[in-house]
Amino acid sequence: MTATHAAAAESDAEARSILERAAAASFPPLHAVHHLLSVGVCVRCIFRMFGAFSHACSCASLTVPFFHSFLEEHDDSAKGGSCSCLSTDGACCSICFGILLPTCHQDEGVVPFDDISRIDIITSMVSQAIQREGYQIDGFSLEISLPAVVAANERAIRLYMKEKYGSENWFKDEIFSQQTMSVKEGLRLLIVPSLEKQLGVKHGNNSFRIRLTYTHDDASLKLKRLLPNDSNRKRKAESREGNDTRRNSTYDDKQTLSETDSFIHKSLEGIQDQEFCSLFKLPPEKVSKPCHLVISFLRPAIYIGGRYLKLSRNVSQSCWIIDDERMGEASVEEIIKESVCAISRGDGYKFHAAGREDIDVRMLGSGRPFLIEVLNVRSIPSAIEIQQISDKINSSEKKHVRIRNLKLVDNEIWAMMREGEAEKQKQYAALIWTSSPLTDDDLQKISVIKDMEIVQNTPVRVLHRRSPLERKRIIHWMEIEKVEGSSNYYLLHLCTQAGTYIKEFVHGDLGRTNPSIGSMLRCRAEILQLDVTDVKMDLLQ
Amino acid sequence: MAGEDAAACAPQVGGHAPRDAASFDEETRALIAPDAGSLPATPPSAVEANFARYFAADYLNPGHDQYVYRHPNGLCVVGLAPAHVALKEEGGITAIDFNVGKTDRSEIKVTGKRKRNAQHLQENSALCKVCTKDKTFVVRCCVKGQLLEINDRLMKQPDLLNTSADREGYIAIFMQKPADWLKVKDKFLSFEEYKNLRGIC
Ligand SMILES: [Zn+2]
Ligand SMILES: [Zn+2]
Repeated sequence: MTATHAAAAESDAEARSILERAAAASFPPLHAVHHLLSVGVCVRCIFRMFGAFSHACSCASLTVPFFHSFLEEHDDSAKGGSCSCLSTDGACCSICFGILLPTCHQDEGVVPFDDISRIDIITSMVSQAIQREGYQIDGFSLEISLPAVVAANERAIRLYMKEKYGSENWFKDEIFSQQTMSVKEGLRLLIVPSLEKQLGVKHGNNSFRIRLTYTHDDASLKLKRLLPNDSNRKRKAESREGNDTRRNSTYDDKQTLSETDSFIHKSLEGIQDQEFCSLFKLPPEKVSKPCHLVISFLRPAIYIGGRYLKLSRNVSQSCWIIDDERMGEASVEEIIKESVCAISRGDGYKFHAAGREDIDVRMLGSGRPFLIEVLNVRSIPSAIEIQQISDKINSSEKKHVRIRNLKLVDNEIWAMMREGEAEKQKQYAALIWTSSPLTDDDLQKISVIKDMEIVQNTPVRVLHRRSPLERKRIIHWMEIEKVEGSSNYYLLHLCTQAGTYIKEFVHGDLGRTNPSIGSMLRCRAEILQLDVTDVKMDLLQ
Repeated sequence: MAGEDAAACAPQVGGHAPRDAASFDEETRALIAPDAGSLPATPPSAVEANFARYFAADYLNPGHDQYVYRHPNGLCVVGLAPAHVALKEEGGITAIDFNVGKTDRSEIKVTGKRKRNAQHLQENSALCKVCTKDKTFVVRCCVKGQLLEINDRLMKQPDLLNTSADREGYIAIFMQKPADWLKVKDKFLSFEEYKNLRGIC
């Protein structure tokens, strides 16, 4: 008991000295300060507006009653009777709506937090959410978003003060603008030390972002209605939204809200003080409903890259559905995503590969480079976890897909993959059949060819969805190997420019690819199987 | 192996990766090696494997036999069936003319994914004319739909119609609405039915 009393006494003494210093150095005459208090501006906003916030913000005893009794001692106008600044109507601060001095809802109604340290409640909400979401962090940065109505309130209070005291000697127009700290900065100053303490990590330019989004729908909508040209703007906004195909209710709500807010900001900027005074009630009406706070977290996407081998002719690269029917029994994308997902938690996973092969073509050799983008990842995977992802895929029962060189990569590799894709060469092994047996001369003829240009019309099998075009492609080299123990069957090894249609190069696609293996060997050539044996990129090798 | 011999005597090409087939690691080598015992004596051709083959015998005129090869993607390749009367003329077909009525079908350039400029034709619309030494035969579209391309190689090499009418000698490619195909599908003969009708083996 005595210890608490002592602490309280100490805090009171501190509050007193803060007030005395502020009164001497930065406050306007105390009757004006008291007037602000009585029109519902919170203690913190008063200190903030008069440039004394950083001294006062952490003092627990700076409550309205304390402030009032200090003013009563020093200013005659505050004396006597019940003062409106002490009313317990539970209204929020007429500027910050309780953002700097949170109020909390209890059963009996709104109760203001007397204890200034209640900002810690937000801190512990943040901390709990971080734990609940499973984020591992080594620091944080903080983003704060406030409703536009806060800025409007502040302007209204200033103009009200100007209207009321503008003729008094002490009032100078620039009294606020020189010293004011914004609500956002004020909140940051309050909450950052508290977050650092609670989370045990430092605030700074960290890639893990904590976002505090304060909104006040009632006040925002009310304010919006007061502004000129509202209906005009709204029509434009609606027609814009109408073109948007991503329509769902949460999206629309957010969209409307952020449009409202940016509209208010823009409109307020364009309004002269005189017009502002005619539109708004001065001082602003008291509001008892505090701001709504949404806490969210954001971490930039991470990339896990490697090369994949596809060992099945019944597995597509990405999930492929035609008329509700799945083509193939699985997909490389799903197999890899599933394993990444099991070990590295995020909000979403995107699969990117350097090119693709048909479902009935295997991907062998050194494999094909790919990336998995993990959105809003909860923790950066360790080397061991990356290994676990790899092991999980490689030890799967079905062995459709194998992974090589899996590692955490930075986002530059993304651009490298896109650039390299167009230039890269690919090597294939094709099982072919020819209508007449090939002679050694035939094999020799094929193997001396170097960088041969061919012309491919868009293959019939894709002509329904692609443009009809003639494409020139390069066959870098070829090698034909006889299949032992069979007649007319051969393995054709070839290296080509990316984008060459290999199946069509073998059978000629009704003469639409020229020359073709068939036309060069003057026989009918058919392709039975195709494997990619190498994707020639330095990437993720 | 023949392949290795060929590789050994091939001139070395600078700047390329090792190109002999033996350079694969053992595992890849094992994966790409075909099992000779399981291979059919003659595999299905690309046309047989990729298209459903349909035939129209005596289309609008006796002996005017045509084929329609339908790809699962909805495209139809149209050409002359083996027993087309023009192929039996002495000297076979000597020329093809895509200039029918008001339009020259070889001059229309279809472009883009949306197939701009493609002509919409009816089943019985004339597609082209094929000429023999002293006769001319009109070839019909056989399917209703958009004409995507004609085989312009035939204008320089009409002999393809005589030697490989079922492959490089095809005449045109159409894109058809699935519903339109269902309407006409049953009028056609299968390859088996056509062979029996014409006594081809
Ligand atoms: Zn008072
Ligand atoms: Zn306030």
